[in-house]
Amino acid sequence: MENAPSLIDRLKSNDEKTIRDLYNDNKPGFLLFANRFNLNKDELIDVYQDAVIALVENAKKGRIDDLKSSVTTYLFGIGKFMIFQKLKKNKKTVPNEDLEHLEFEWEEVDEEDKDAQILTLREGFKKLGEQCRKVLTLFYYEEQNLESIQNQLGYSNKDVLKSQKSRCLKQLKELTK
Amino acid sequence: MNSHDYIDKYFEGSLTPEEQQEFESLLLSDDDLANNFAYQKQLKKAITLNERADLKRKLQGFESETRKPKSFKVWYAAASVVLLCCLGYYFSMTSTSGLYDDYYQTYPNVVAPTVRGEGSEDLTSKAFYNYDAGNYEQSAELFSSLYDTTHEDYALFYKGMSLMELKEHKQAIGVFNQFDESKQSRFTPFVKWYKALSYLKLGNKEKSISLLKDLSNTENPQQKQAKQLLTELE
Repeated sequence: MENAPSLIDRLKSNDEKTIRDLYNDNKPGFLLFANRFNLNKDELIDVYQDAVIALVENAKKGRIDDLKSSVTTYLFGIGKFMIFQKLKKNKKTVPNEDLEHLEFEWEEVDEEDKDAQILTLREGFKKLGEQCRKVLTLFYYEEQNLESIQNQLGYSNKDVLKSQKSRCLKQLKELTK
Repeated sequence: MNSHDYIDKYFEGSLTPEEQQEFESLLLSDDDLANNFAYQKQLKKAITLNERADLKRKLQGFESETRKPKSFKVWYAAASVVLLCCLGYYFSMTSTSGLYDDYYQTYPNVVAPTVRGEGSEDLTSKAFYNYDAGNYEQSAELFSSLYDTTHEDYALFYKGMSLMELKEHKQAIGVFNQFDESKQSRFTPFVKWYKALSYLKLGNKEKSISLLKDLSNTENPQQKQAKQLLTELE
């Protein structure tokens, strides 16, 4: 519907201006809509940021390529979902509204924050070279398949990419020993 | 297929159901493979946490940028006050219309988010689908028939919003007037707000101001904006 490159494509490419505009343009509307829930302004902004993060993440993973609603509606749906999660966590009453039609996948990893191995991996990962970080991020985080990574990064064939990837894993293991 | 290919295919999401089964039994018999797999799953979580933390920091940065007023903004504001004082009288009509544009914002769909195209043939989904897609003529009609059948507040509200999008402000006011003011719903402050904006657009300052005063005097989500607009109008 939109002229190329679409908003979702621009989010995929991690374009900072796109993310900034999306963030600023939707914030007043979101705060307006979220005002009726039992959370203070700082909490609402925190939730709004997490919703934007989830939106960008799902765009990168290709999960919303066929999104039928507007990006704003999707973002607000995520926000509402996260507000309900937060209210539950704070043991506050959750409004009796449903989240019908929200097709939203999201992996909670907050709890893993305390896992010692993950902490070491997070630090070790930052010490890897740029190419390794790129390959591993595309594969594990953006959930792209080897073929599309091969095309994106210009590897001559899949085996070259595969051995690069296992070299990166080996380096990471060295760094986190 | 080499046993490590199963791991790659797992992360690609491309294992067939048979391969999935083979993979599961391999994991039981091959400790090395199982350890490797567990390690890569941990790595996936680590990268996810890093990526989310990076973006979070960036967004928090946007937030502190907007909170710190830059000096040129002060000059800009001062200049615009002077400008407004001098020109305000002469262009009261154009400035109310400008204020409308400054304050009007499409009210988001907060009732039925993310409606997928297929399988959502009921009236509510159709109406919101059209509203989200910007087909306001269709959404106005659909919300209208939805209101006739269900008498839901939100149907009436979004009918009014669709009309505002179509710049049919008189009709929108008519719709907003159908709300029972004694009955408090979550839309009540927004009905008043958008009615005030519609009057503003039509150049009826008095009615707009009286609604805004109403909003300024009670605790509600639109209180701050109403106060702001009120000071600009008065």
